[in-house]
Amino acid sequence: MKKLVSGEQITKSFQVGNEQHHVLTNVSVDLYEGEFVSIMGPSGCGKSTLLYALSGMDSIDRGRVMFDGMDLTSLSDKELADLRRTRMGFVFQQPTFLKSLNILDNILLPAMRDQRKNVVALTETAKNIMKKMGIVDLAKRDITQVSGGQLQRAGICRALISKPQLIFGDEPTGALNSTSAQEIMDLLASINTEGTTVMLVTHDPKIAARTERILFMCDGAIVNEMRLPRFTGAGLEDRMIAITAKMREIGI
Amino acid sequence: MYSKIVRNDMANSKLITCMTTLFVAAAAMLITLSAVLIVHLSGAIDTLMKQAETSHFLQMHSGAIDQARLTEFAEHHDRVDEFQINEFLNVDGAKISIAGTTLAHSVQDNGFSTQSEKFDYLLDLDGHAIEVANGDIYIPVGYLKDGTAKLGDTMMVNNKTFTIAGFLRDSQMNSMLASSKRFLVSEEDYTAIQKAGTIEYLIEFRLKNLSDLKDFEEAYIRAGLEANGPTITFSLFKMLNALSDGLMLAVILLISILVVAIAFMCIRFTLHTKIEEDYREIGVMKAIGIRVVDIQKMYLAKYGVIAVIGCVLGFAFSFLLRDLLLENIRLYMGETDNTSLVWIITIIGLLLVFITVMAYVQSVLKQFRKLSATQAIRFGTTYGKARHANYLNLSSNKMLPINLFLGMKDVLSRKRLYATMLTVLLLATFIIIVPQNLYNTISAKSFITYMGIGNSDIRIDIPQGNQNAQHVAAVVKTLERDTAITDYTVLTTKKFTTIASDGAEESLKIELGDHTIFPVEYALGRVPVAQNEIALSVLNAQELHLKVGDVIPLVINGEKNNLTVSGIYSDITNGGKTAKAAFSDRSAESMWSVVYGTMANPSQVEEKITEYVDTFHFAKVSGINHYINQTFGTTIHSIGKVSIAALVMALLLCVLVTLLFMNMLIAKDQTSIAIMKSVGFTNVDISKQYIARSVFVLLLAIVMGTFLANTLGEFLTSMVIASFGAAAFEFTINPLAAYVFCPLAIISVVLVATLLGTLRAGQLKIMDHIKE
Ligand SMILES: Nc1ncnc2c1ncn2[C@@H]1O[C@H](COP(=O)(O)OP(=O)(O)O)[C@@H](O)[C@H]1O
Ligand SMILES: [Mg+2]
Repeated sequence: MKKLVSGEQITKSFQVGNEQHHVLTNVSVDLYEGEFVSIMGPSGCGKSTLLYALSGMDSIDRGRVMFDGMDLTSLSDKELADLRRTRMGFVFQQPTFLKSLNILDNILLPAMRDQRKNVVALTETAKNIMKKMGIVDLAKRDITQVSGGQLQRAGICRALISKPQLIFGDEPTGALNSTSAQEIMDLLASINTEGTTVMLVTHDPKIAARTERILFMCDGAIVNEMRLPRFTGAGLEDRMIAITAKMREIGI
Repeated sequence: MYSKIVRNDMANSKLITCMTTLFVAAAAMLITLSAVLIVHLSGAIDTLMKQAETSHFLQMHSGAIDQARLTEFAEHHDRVDEFQINEFLNVDGAKISIAGTTLAHSVQDNGFSTQSEKFDYLLDLDGHAIEVANGDIYIPVGYLKDGTAKLGDTMMVNNKTFTIAGFLRDSQMNSMLASSKRFLVSEEDYTAIQKAGTIEYLIEFRLKNLSDLKDFEEAYIRAGLEANGPTITFSLFKMLNALSDGLMLAVILLISILVVAIAFMCIRFTLHTKIEEDYREIGVMKAIGIRVVDIQKMYLAKYGVIAVIGCVLGFAFSFLLRDLLLENIRLYMGETDNTSLVWIITIIGLLLVFITVMAYVQSVLKQFRKLSATQAIRFGTTYGKARHANYLNLSSNKMLPINLFLGMKDVLSRKRLYATMLTVLLLATFIIIVPQNLYNTISAKSFITYMGIGNSDIRIDIPQGNQNAQHVAAVVKTLERDTAITDYTVLTTKKFTTIASDGAEESLKIELGDHTIFPVEYALGRVPVAQNEIALSVLNAQELHLKVGDVIPLVINGEKNNLTVSGIYSDITNGGKTAKAAFSDRSAESMWSVVYGTMANPSQVEEKITEYVDTFHFAKVSGINHYINQTFGTTIHSIGKVSIAALVMALLLCVLVTLLFMNMLIAKDQTSIAIMKSVGFTNVDISKQYIARSVFVLLLAIVMGTFLANTLGEFLTSMVIASFGAAAFEFTINPLAAYVFCPLAIISVVLVATLLGTLRAGQLKIMDHIKE
């Protein structure tokens, strides 16, 4: 399998007042095409920071991040933005939409920047994705007129509009109830099946149980990892138990 | 505890605090400055006219005079307090030279007088009646101002040498708009130069009661006393004194009002934004039990400090600028008596600004009381959800580039927010264009047509005399033959008798001739053409209670004729009481004649005047450009200065407001910017969106501002101009300046400010604003 992203010796700290607050210390991680990966760990251990670093959304102090043969640390802001727009998708825990646009327009936003002339085809694509996510009826609604779960689905639609190779999710189900969360995971799994690489951050074993590789973080480092076979719809409970057991074993 | 919170808060929002302080300072400065200017101008005029004991009624007269009859009239008229006849020795400018330069080209009637005995004193620059020694001369202060003369220069009058011993203020003829200028010499010297010119008499009265002026005027006319020359009354003197500085003052006042409006809008805007930012905190404070009154006190304390600092700064600035603006008034009219009033007004102005700011803050703070703690904590915003421009959908937009689309959509979605910026930029456009148009208008040659003077190139004044007819004929013959002269007309003023509505006979000076060649601007109606038509000056129409279309009886060629009023025009010449008609008349004697002419090549006007000065030794030849320069020069100059100051100030305001606005917008929009960046919009994209918003608002503002300037601005200006006697006013617009350079200037400064203000947007970190 081809290596899509590789983080090498990533180190990152934040300046808090006069003190340097170390968040990531020499973290290395590889991500292969078609993988379905999750990162777990206690709150504040640096999961989000790692995700932002791998995607080039935030700078790092030392180390290197390679994306499909390119060194992200050497790219300009503009090149990074281009990458984000054309080859990556993001889903956040809290919905991040422009209040002044309706749901459909928010979904179209990243693609419209380059393919404005193609608006008809794009709208078609958007509607198809929305149908799959079950929110096609809400296209014309304002973002304030739908539920949190529906917004989260819209977020996934936006992440998919440019047909990215890779989707990052920072606790994409964190604000949802358990049923909605599993539905979102169904969607992400089906996207993954179609070939898109997916990397999630979560602290919920039930979510991590849906993925195939789980990275465990603690205090700014990846301390362990486990692999699971592809989830087929049965045995979620067992996978969860395995994960929890592993966590206890590591001590997080 | 409050002082600590206030200090912290100010330190945290330095820019907003600074801007708010600056705006308060600007408001305070302009309000005090205008107040001071008004008090000074009116006070100085009053002081000047009091010190000089200006005549209440002045009849200028040339020709024979019956002094005994006048004295008897004055003694028997119980309204008269004092009476005197002054002489004014009118000397041809060619015979006068100051420091080697002749006054041949002066459009003023330069003449010599001795100091009055009873009233109408000529004052020195300290406001005292001058006593002049033999060989010394005092000259009008206007000649100091325009650089013609300085102290100690020598002056030649018909081969007699004088030393300029000082400058004088003449409460009656100070203004360049008054056509005569008095030079003061001693009795002995006056007698010595008497042969050099012709004597004009100033028949002057002071009344016991100024309010009786109108009755007195009628009585004087009815008595059939000497009246060969303009009649000027106290109120016209006052107006002439106020005119040149008054116009500038009016413009400054207009600008001040607008800038104060802008300042308050910006204060409102910063306040709203600040409070919105603090909303959640206020909610928290409320939730933990701090009383609303305490929160309000905190804000009031903060804005109290800002308002005090702003007012003090504004006062200091106004102090610095004051002398600059008062220079002219001080020179021509001296100090006001009312220095205490100036202070009182200044303090009242400052208090007014302070109180208004505080009242404003208080009214905004009232919202606090209605705010529920939970609402504030949960939603953290005062404005409800953005109301969208639903008709603008990305999914149906193929045309506009996305950044332009998003910029415009944002403006249309948050109209209330952008309304502030729109209004400020609109007012700035207004502030730039109105003074500029006014400047263009009054510096255009055609402006004199609003003042009762036809627009020609050359003007030849032929004074009264028994040879008047021959002189006119000689001039006409020369002009007719002169190929350089394209057009000319002769206007002869004669005196007629009319019967007023109350049956009394009144004399009316009428300028006869073809008034269509060099027409003046008619406030109402049109130029008189037919034999039975007449046009009246505004003052005459008021006095005779006549409107356009009314009939006025007139004795012509010994017969009574009924003439129809065809039009009314404003006039500042000859005391403002004039009339124009086109009928032919042989009986009445000419008082004076004026010949107007135009030249094929206006650049040769100077040469031609020099030629005619030699040819027509009996007449006064002047160029209209010269006339405008010398009469309105100071006014034009000061309006020009004000319009440049307005331009600079408005541009500065644009920069400040745009910076402020963009800064706050970015603070508000941090999350949206982070979202855009997270989905792959570049820094340049974000900048483009802000520029699109700016330009969209800006273009709207410029279009609306220009429209308003040319409608409302013109209306306001015409009201100001009308109060000085001119009417039916229209802007003369320099299209290049008004429609190209001004908008370009505004656009470029706003763009630069937008770029500077949005620099921060690019540097914003996505992570800091999208928290998981
Ligand atoms: N912008 C920032 N400034 C300072 N500290 C930060 C910033 N962002 C994150 N941190 C700190 O870095 C650590 C890791 O944060 P994060 O990666 O968000 O944790 P996680 O996602 O695992 O909960 C936390 O201790 C957090 O307080
Ligand atoms: Mg996190």
